[in-house]
Amino acid sequence: MAKVLVVDDAAFMRMAIKNMLENHGFEIVGEAENGAVAVQKYAECRPDLVTMDITMPEMNGLDALKAIMKINPEAVVVMVSAMGQEAMVREAIMSGAKSFIIKPFKEDHVIETLKKVLP
Amino acid sequence: MSGQNNEQMLEMYIFETEQNIEQLETLVLSSEKELGFAEDALHELFRLMHTIKGSSGMMSYQSLASVAHHLEDLFYYLREQQPQNVDYTILSDLVLEGIDLMKVELQKIKNGEEADSDTAPLIKSIEDYLQLLKQQNGAESETAVALAQPDSAGGFCARADAVTYKAVVHFAADCAMENVRAYALVHSLQAEANVLQLFPADLDDDDSAEIIRTKGLTVYLQSELEAEQIEEIFWQTPFLNKLELTVVDSLQSEEAAWDAAQLPKQQQNNHTAASNSVISVSVNKLDKLMDLVGEMVIAESMVIQNPDLNGLELENFEKAARQLHKITSELQDLVMSIRMVPLATTFHKMHRLVRDMSRQLQKDVQLQLIGEHTEVDKNIIEHIADPIMHLIRNAIDHGLETAEEREALGKPAAGTITLEAKNTGSDVLILIKDDGRGLNKDKILERAREHGLLTKMTAEMTEKEIFELIFLPGFSTKDNVTEFSGRGVGMDVVAKNLEMVGGAVSVSSVAGQGTVFTLKIPLTLAIMDSMNVKVGASCYTIPIISIKECLRLQQHTLLNDTEGYEMLMVRGECYPIFRLHQYFNVKNAVTDLEKGVLVMVEHDKKSFLLFVDELLGQQEVVVKALPAYIKERYQSKGISGCTLLGDGSISLILDVGGFVQ
Repeated sequence: MAKVLVVDDAAFMRMAIKNMLENHGFEIVGEAENGAVAVQKYAECRPDLVTMDITMPEMNGLDALKAIMKINPEAVVVMVSAMGQEAMVREAIMSGAKSFIIKPFKEDHVIETLKKVLP
Repeated sequence: MSGQNNEQMLEMYIFETEQNIEQLETLVLSSEKELGFAEDALHELFRLMHTIKGSSGMMSYQSLASVAHHLEDLFYYLREQQPQNVDYTILSDLVLEGIDLMKVELQKIKNGEEADSDTAPLIKSIEDYLQLLKQQNGAESETAVALAQPDSAGGFCARADAVTYKAVVHFAADCAMENVRAYALVHSLQAEANVLQLFPADLDDDDSAEIIRTKGLTVYLQSELEAEQIEEIFWQTPFLNKLELTVVDSLQSEEAAWDAAQLPKQQQNNHTAASNSVISVSVNKLDKLMDLVGEMVIAESMVIQNPDLNGLELENFEKAARQLHKITSELQDLVMSIRMVPLATTFHKMHRLVRDMSRQLQKDVQLQLIGEHTEVDKNIIEHIADPIMHLIRNAIDHGLETAEEREALGKPAAGTITLEAKNTGSDVLILIKDDGRGLNKDKILERAREHGLLTKMTAEMTEKEIFELIFLPGFSTKDNVTEFSGRGVGMDVVAKNLEMVGGAVSVSSVAGQGTVFTLKIPLTLAIMDSMNVKVGASCYTIPIISIKECLRLQQHTLLNDTEGYEMLMVRGECYPIFRLHQYFNVKNAVTDLEKGVLVMVEHDKKSFLLFVDELLGQQEVVVKALPAYIKERYQSKGISGCTLLGDGSISLILDVGGFVQ
């Protein structure tokens, strides 16, 4: 069972992702509402997978991604983006994000993406 | 997703979106005051719009998502381009309009209706405004984060014996952002292969998504891996739908070496966010918790005051009982405090009202908030927002003079409305003050006379009594209709709203100096000050707030009206008598009026007498809802709830308003 850290500033989004993943046997080991908390939680619970929102207060998803890749270059981070954020997704992939999902997302899309990127 | 999950998500969606909209409104209003949007505010506005767009899209509320989306675009432009000479009044009008529309949609969603408002006109004006901004500030420059196409060597180095492949890939039809997916694919190939050429070549160009969608992505790459191994790498890409991999002899085009190892310099952001250790709990759960704690308090007294213990010397028991009592009362206090919410949110909402009205009526108005951190029970807050809004509307519309009038009177041109909250024991007082012209006694009397509302000689009336006339139903008229007040919903509605939560409203005014409305509201609805009375073997509870006085028959004159109803003359006024034993059909009750007690209660400015056997005493009781089957029969027929008394017996709480009907 893959352990997942869900990062999003909107509690609603975290709940949506959490519900979807739990339906498919993923284990949510943590949630974070901004990038800074995400980095801290990543170091604490070392999840197999991180879903990372891009637009967040305090520290955005890109900076958090980079910090996490520094902690663990093998980290599996999937960006949660929206249409219009193409440039930022590209930057994220350059920085080590394994893939991305696009809001509003469908359950099967999310699951397919996550299953593909897990080692 | 299960039904329960859906419901939970909807609840969370509404809760969070409401909060976000509120935050947006506050930000816009405060930015407007500072005559400009600071960079931080723009970031925050953009983020909030982005969040609303995302969540609404997930819930398939298209109207909300598209309004948020267009406003997000607008703020994106403002944030990235920082255009000069922006007319911020138009901007905030536009954003506030959007906020209003989102509020309407959210309310519809809350009511279980279709969120289907027409967003086209608003979106058109947002687009027009954005267009205007762009024109004023020159052509739109490229704002996307330009990523340098890396060209330095690194990563994979092809050997001489490497094979050149051509791959044509297609993605699943509805996966979106194909160019970025292609980008990710190329990125992952680079670890194992030398990517020579791509078609479309520029994946940074978002138009390339369309080309990939129709024609697929063509990749020329060089690697010493077997075809199967290469295929395997391709298939690790999410949403890859079709792959044709062929070996080609050579590649005519120049070699474009890609490198992805070039990571942008990252800045370690050291500030750890103050992790917000707050969770949101459904009010229903809190109600239930409150209920259980209330029951526990009663159960505790049932144990400690158990008749079986009478006459026993139980030192250890007493000690344990005291300990138990201490914990239960602490628990009760804590549960009460959980339900308390500061008035700040309600108060801050008034900024918007004042802004809109002062513009519309061209009166300069300042809103001053005092004590907005005062806390009140959540249920009560919901009932007082409308009365406060109504009183502020009235104050601005009727209370405050125009700037010219004010200057002529030697007052500052800008009127001031003060909204103040303070604690007084078990009540909270909310004061709505204006420094306007004050109430006009003669006009009030004249209108009251016109509508036949006077019950006393005008000469005998005190100033306070005259002012209180405005709370009578039927006092307000429609002859002064403006957009904001005077819509025929009068002060009586304010009074009624407050009565519903066990509160009261009063007014004082000095001509030429202003008017003060005072709302007195209880801290909570869950605990009530009450008088317990006995009728036969039953016990009833009357809210103290409704009781005016208690009296015995002796000194007063008993009358019968034409229909044979009993009336009592008290100090020159007639009050009808309700015999509770008759009304509730109680056996063995006192029927002789001279032997029982008459309790004078008031509702909606109407007073009458309840006849009971005896008064048991005043007590704070925990209000509990009636069980459903009793509620069906007795709803609004004089019973509003029930409570458990210290001895474990049940007492019905009388709803005085119910008798009036």
